[in-house]
Amino acid sequence: MAKSARQAQIEQAALYPLDWVEERSGLVGYTKWMLFRNVPRDVNWMQTLGSATLTAFIVQAVTGVFLAMYYKPDPNSAYQSIQHITNDVTLGWLVRGMHKWGASLFIILMFLHMARTFLFGAYKYPRELNWIIGVLLLVMGMAEGFTGYLLPWDQTAYWATVVGININATAPIAGPFIAQFLQGGAQIGPDTLAKFYSFHMLVIPGGIMALIGLHMYLVVRLGVTSPPWSKVAAGRPRDVAPPDGYGEYREGLIREHEQEGKDS
Amino acid sequence: MASKLKKENQAEFKRYKEDVAKEGKPFFPYAIFHDTVMSLVVVVVIIALAVIWKYTADGTEAGILGPLYTEEADPGTTNFIPRPDWFFYFLFYLLRIFKWPETVVLGTVGVPTLLLVLLLTLPFYDRRPERAVLRRPVAFVAAILVVISMGVLTWKGATAKEGSEAVGEVPAWAEEQGFADDPVAVEGATLFAESGCLNCHVYLNAGGQNLGAPDLTEEGLKGRGIEWQVAHLKNPSSKVPGSQMPSFATLGDENLTKIATFLEASKGPQG
Repeated sequence: MAKSARQAQIEQAALYPLDWVEERSGLVGYTKWMLFRNVPRDVNWMQTLGSATLTAFIVQAVTGVFLAMYYKPDPNSAYQSIQHITNDVTLGWLVRGMHKWGASLFIILMFLHMARTFLFGAYKYPRELNWIIGVLLLVMGMAEGFTGYLLPWDQTAYWATVVGININATAPIAGPFIAQFLQGGAQIGPDTLAKFYSFHMLVIPGGIMALIGLHMYLVVRLGVTSPPWSKVAAGRPRDVAPPDGYGEYREGLIREHEQEGKDS
Repeated sequence: MASKLKKENQAEFKRYKEDVAKEGKPFFPYAIFHDTVMSLVVVVVIIALAVIWKYTADGTEAGILGPLYTEEADPGTTNFIPRPDWFFYFLFYLLRIFKWPETVVLGTVGVPTLLLVLLLTLPFYDRRPERAVLRRPVAFVAAILVVISMGVLTWKGATAKEGSEAVGEVPAWAEEQGFADDPVAVEGATLFAESGCLNCHVYLNAGGQNLGAPDLTEEGLKGRGIEWQVAHLKNPSSKVPGSQMPSFATLGDENLTKIATFLEASKGPQG
């Protein structure tokens, strides 16, 4: 069906920015490659846990940005700023609550995603590197939990961090240095809080974002596995289909066997 | 042999690529639809938790999901029970299995590091191409053991009792340590149990091991004397450099002497 000249004109005008970007970056092509790649027919609901984890991380990033606008990383005002966010700022309680509970959900989802990968044997060839990146993400996620826990500067936060730093200190050789670095002084105080804040919102999230990018690139490049119990799993060994007219599948196999016998 | 495995792996992955290209379905819109549904569920659950948390709690008053915040941090507190976020409970409880100071490093660093290395290198020692979990018995059993032990440790960490619940144990301590006929030591033991010492220290069967605090069951054998003990309670780091223990000077000289008497009378279970 031929398009009217007017329709063609509108279409061209709409696509012009895309063409412009594609010509200069190839990004449209990459996006198409990402979106329209094939995945096995039998992917399972359990395989949505990875993207669910990503969603939880995005929730953390977005709510974290808003919290950073109101939070003051200083022992004299941190606790008051948390109270202010929770009690006074419009929807501040929701943003803080989502950040607090999103953290737990993020950790749970990372563990479930890892359990799914283990159950499916999806860490095996050629996806070993992506498993390693995933474990690093888990460690960094837990480091986010540890550093973020101090920020409200309440009793729970303070004493949990005292214990945490002391646990670090028991490590052989490097332990006392790590502990002293984390604490940044004789006691947990302003330096500790500023340090934890910087790690919590700059260093670790930056690392997590970079690793998530790499993680997803490898997922797209290597493809998604079929569940191992699948009858139509992609990559399963196939028997050669019997030629037409040879009746049952089994007979075809026997016939072939006989053929081989004659040849030798 | 390794090259045979490599060839098998490569052949299977090639077959996988071909199958997916031939029989697969495009990620958009099929798979991404499931992902979107799941992501919406995640966001709704997070919002629901935040709402329940906010509307059942009031400031430091705990609701169904705990308080909005606890009291402001105070380094001078002596009886606050340190407790990490729930996903560190398993590490927290692991510490109590190993005794200070000989083996605690196993609990704090040894076991977690070993497990982390095992986790990180999993694809390198589990190299069989087999993916069906029932045909990977070792992996299956190991996974179940890990899940059970982490679950148990988390649960134990969540329900662990410590601190001032030990006051009822004082007569048993006096009996076991043989200071029942010394009323000053018994009073000291009561003060010891009430003042939060057991949040960090272990005494006989009670208390927690935190901050590297030593077991005090046999403190009296060290021969430090009452004077040393009182001075240490007032300003711990003056006697033990680098000590994390807070000052207990607010209890007053009389009470501190009682606690010191009790500690000096603690020479380990008799017989």
